[in-house]
Amino acid sequence: MGSSKIARTLAVSTVVLSVALAGCSTKASTSNSGGAPAAGGVKTDVGVTDKDITLGNLTDLSGVFKTLGLGITQGTQMWAEDVNAKGGICGRQIKITSQDHGYSAEKAVPLYAQSKGSVLGYVQLLGSPILAALKKPLTDDKVAVVPSSWASTNLDVPEVVMVGTTYDVEMVDGLSYLLSKGKIKEGDTLGHIYVDSEYGKNGLKGSMSFADAHKMKIVQSAITSTDSDLTSAITQLKGAGVKAILLTTTPAQTASAVGQAAAQGLDVPVFGNNPTFTPQLLQTPAKAALTSGNFITVAGIQPFSSDAPVVKDIATRYKAKYKDTPTFGPLVGYTFGQTWGAILKTACDAGDLTRQGILDARAKTTVDTGGLAPSVLDFTNLGAPSTRAVWLLKPAEVEGGLSLVQPEPYTSDEAKAYKTPFQK
Amino acid sequence: MSETTTPLTPEAGAPSAELPAAPQPPGSGATAAAPRGGRGALVRWALWLLLAVVMFLAPVYLPGQYLTVGTWVMTGAVGAMGLTMLVGQAGQLSLAHSFFLLVGGVSYAVLSGDGSDGFIGLHLPTFVALVLAVAITALVGAAFAPVSGRLSGIYLGVASLSLVFLGWYLARSLPSLAGTTSSGRYVEDLHLFGFYFGEKSPSLYVLDVPIGQNERLWWLFATLTAIAYAVARGAVRGRIGRAWRAVRDNEAAATVMGVSVVRQKAIAFAVSSSYAGLAGVMVVWWYDGLLKPDEAVDSGTYSTSVAIAYLAMVVIGGVGSLGGAILGSAIVFGMPLILPLLTQGDGSGINAVSGTDFSPVVITNLIYGALIVLIIVFEPGGFAGLGRKLTARLRRG
Amino acid sequence: MSILVQVLLNGTGRGAIYALLALGFVIIYKATEVVNFAHGSLALFGGYLTYALKSQVGWYLAALLGVLSAALLAFLLERLILSRAKLASQDSLAILTIGVDIIILTEISRRLGTEAAPFLGDPYQGIRLSILGATVEGPQIVALISAIVLIGAFFVVFRYSSWGLAMRAQSENKEAAALMGIRSSRVTSSAWAVGGALAGIAVLFIATLPIAGGAGLTAAHTIAFAAFPAAILGGLTSPGGAVVGGLTVGLVEAFSQQYINQDFAKVAVYLVMLIVLVARPSGLFGRVEQQRV
Repeated sequence: MGSSKIARTLAVSTVVLSVALAGCSTKASTSNSGGAPAAGGVKTDVGVTDKDITLGNLTDLSGVFKTLGLGITQGTQMWAEDVNAKGGICGRQIKITSQDHGYSAEKAVPLYAQSKGSVLGYVQLLGSPILAALKKPLTDDKVAVVPSSWASTNLDVPEVVMVGTTYDVEMVDGLSYLLSKGKIKEGDTLGHIYVDSEYGKNGLKGSMSFADAHKMKIVQSAITSTDSDLTSAITQLKGAGVKAILLTTTPAQTASAVGQAAAQGLDVPVFGNNPTFTPQLLQTPAKAALTSGNFITVAGIQPFSSDAPVVKDIATRYKAKYKDTPTFGPLVGYTFGQTWGAILKTACDAGDLTRQGILDARAKTTVDTGGLAPSVLDFTNLGAPSTRAVWLLKPAEVEGGLSLVQPEPYTSDEAKAYKTPFQK
Repeated sequence: MSETTTPLTPEAGAPSAELPAAPQPPGSGATAAAPRGGRGALVRWALWLLLAVVMFLAPVYLPGQYLTVGTWVMTGAVGAMGLTMLVGQAGQLSLAHSFFLLVGGVSYAVLSGDGSDGFIGLHLPTFVALVLAVAITALVGAAFAPVSGRLSGIYLGVASLSLVFLGWYLARSLPSLAGTTSSGRYVEDLHLFGFYFGEKSPSLYVLDVPIGQNERLWWLFATLTAIAYAVARGAVRGRIGRAWRAVRDNEAAATVMGVSVVRQKAIAFAVSSSYAGLAGVMVVWWYDGLLKPDEAVDSGTYSTSVAIAYLAMVVIGGVGSLGGAILGSAIVFGMPLILPLLTQGDGSGINAVSGTDFSPVVITNLIYGALIVLIIVFEPGGFAGLGRKLTARLRRG
Repeated sequence: MSILVQVLLNGTGRGAIYALLALGFVIIYKATEVVNFAHGSLALFGGYLTYALKSQVGWYLAALLGVLSAALLAFLLERLILSRAKLASQDSLAILTIGVDIIILTEISRRLGTEAAPFLGDPYQGIRLSILGATVEGPQIVALISAIVLIGAFFVVFRYSSWGLAMRAQSENKEAAALMGIRSSRVTSSAWAVGGALAGIAVLFIATLPIAGGAGLTAAHTIAFAAFPAAILGGLTSPGGAVVGGLTVGLVEAFSQQYINQDFAKVAVYLVMLIVLVARPSGLFGRVEQQRV
């Protein structure tokens, strides 16, 4: 084949191809579908048809946070099944589409671009690097999301719907409890080990505020999320003579901190934020130290082993359906669903299931979780946490690995007075 | 020593006659061996034109998620072209590429930022900030000369890895420059002659398709990739490329020939870093203007794993080959992003998951790993080697 | 005083583990000039098998099988994959090991699912000794003793056995060694097997509470990355250098963690390495490459 012939063929095919391509772009047709027709008097735009409401679930099912991501995903699925069995919401069935980003921001960006056109909002978004990467697109697109992370610094936009209290408030509640039980005193020196990220820094905000009010001194020890051996951090705190250890860490780090404190003879109370514990830790050599009574934690959700009827019901069905070790994830996921359910109902009553309609409805919604959460969740105050109450928990050899310290929820006066960064 | 082996380190052996970007055969993957005369040039121009038309029209047809994958691949391609020059042409191994990405991104953010929210920002026009960011990264690369001049081979590679650690530590320690580890800092996308590349509510339509941020970034990134390619090709084919290869093949001989080894090594690092700097700015644009230091040194946007990923692109593409670097980026950066998109579809398929399931990302990682192994076992010269074989076969038959 | 002793002990304990990893890394490099990015995965693989078997056959047999399986995996890797890629340069082979690493890491993480992270230090997990007011824990003591014994044994074999002679000959001059009748393939694959075995042994100490914290086996891959600067620091061609490098990295890490901070400790290791390299471009004990014109 002569090269002039090739050149000619190429030139011709270039022209033909461009003309042909120009004819039919699928993107052009979809771009004009702005306001969908109102069915049954309800306005809709993205992710809602006459039959279904589709919610996204962008989570980690294969990376470092897969235990949490999986549990929450399973919980949201159970909620959707329950709602659909009762006829759905607004006459529509709930569909949840899950996507796995493996805790990688660069994987999450295209996945979001793929799903955003077909979902009304996200019933779960896991990972602080992922939330950081997607926050601007989410607010630009007016998409409501429930994040699987609880830093009050993310309450600056109405799109972020945070179910349960925030890390800083948890820390204030925990310290207040320790103080009220005489385990720490005014003027004490406390050590706070925290992951230097959105999560850890938010926990530190809480402990600093509490320490300020009670003339305590906080010795800070910043670590990264992949550090797993905290031997030297504990050696340092021991040297500083701390009277309690505060943890805003990963579960692996909690095991190391509590285990090392015992090994090095630092016998002080340890308080950890909600994500510091998973029941899997009780199968590690740190079990003895964790169950010695020094360690307590909090949660925005009843423990899996709770006697509350709502928990028993979900727990029984969970065990029948899934084989994974039960964590607090499934119950948390269930409340994520309940929150979406309540917001959808408010939006439906207002006749507006558009994305803007969801944001409007969110600001008018309070959620009764049937006793799963420590109080009614109140989303009417933008910028403030939906609750300031927590369940106080301690590790125990039960399903889910945690049992209640006291049967009733705990809210401290300091937590009620505490002002989160974007509170109005 | 086999002929197809591309020497990386000075001591690795005799100068190879079959270099991917040696003066004679054009290294680009698309343009096959051009027989002398105007007709070959005509074919080449026609192919370039075809490519330009396809790249111009792609955003009109591709859905948004594939555009983001495409722009991510172009980001990787620009960075990898810089690295392949350093490793393949100048013979210096570097595992610091992700550090230079960070330098580029931070420089751009500081220069173009408006100084609000407690972040340092000089509020320069975005285009000026882009140019200066690339220049700053080049200088930082040249500043590594005292180390790079003394070391070679794997020692240089691991020594340069320490820059990634240093960058990670400094970025965390200086949030007013690099943004906080939790939420980073935001800067503007490029404004050029009144055209804003970050436009979210566009009034521009091409063939009835609104041209928003995704589409605009595609055009911008494609243009930058083309410019980067053209400049690199010029460098490699010119005097500077010859000097690099002389240094690579034999430092002592190069000195005898009058090439200043130290100077050429510094220049190679500077040029390579400037490419990484540009890629770093592109990363910020890709993340919708977000610059955020990593939470951990071994995972994230500027981590050691990204440094290794860039080296993988270079090797998979064929060390020293510019076209190969682009294909390498398509595998290393494109593949892990595109497979989850294809396998997750509408997402309803992975509802009944358990912790030991083959989730889409697990499958992606397995395929990605296997592909790297297979490419190197069956085509050690990477895509460039494959290209050479195909060309030879075409010429023969 | 007791704090200083504690830091010294922490650093030495970890250093012994790094030395085991770095030694394996160096042996592989010496025999094949391949930088093995899959070293962490070899450790992970051996550790996973120990964990999977220990409830059935008991810890000691499981540990032995785990170490052997890591050796076997490394052996097969060399025989079935690396030796097939005959035309690939050493740097391409290094990238190839990244591919292998991704596959093993992904598959083992998948298999572990949402279960608790495996811990492997059963016989010595609970031991605790007090020295000058500081605590040394079982895994650190056993790691140190094992490292001394194994490394000592290695040097004896390396110096006096025919295998050691063959290996040294080959790393000096491959062609000449072949002419003298040394079977190159036997030397290289046995080097890989030894490297794999050392990684399989190191993981038995890594996957314990004092070293890996609560992350257990899952931290092995990250921790093994420290073998990199350790091996480079000592000089990639020197087994003795690997030991010195391992201990240096362990101590630098422990001291900067204690006296500066946890984040800086990661950088400090690399800065020390960089300073050493600028002074001695082939590491402390590495062979200086000669230039031929």
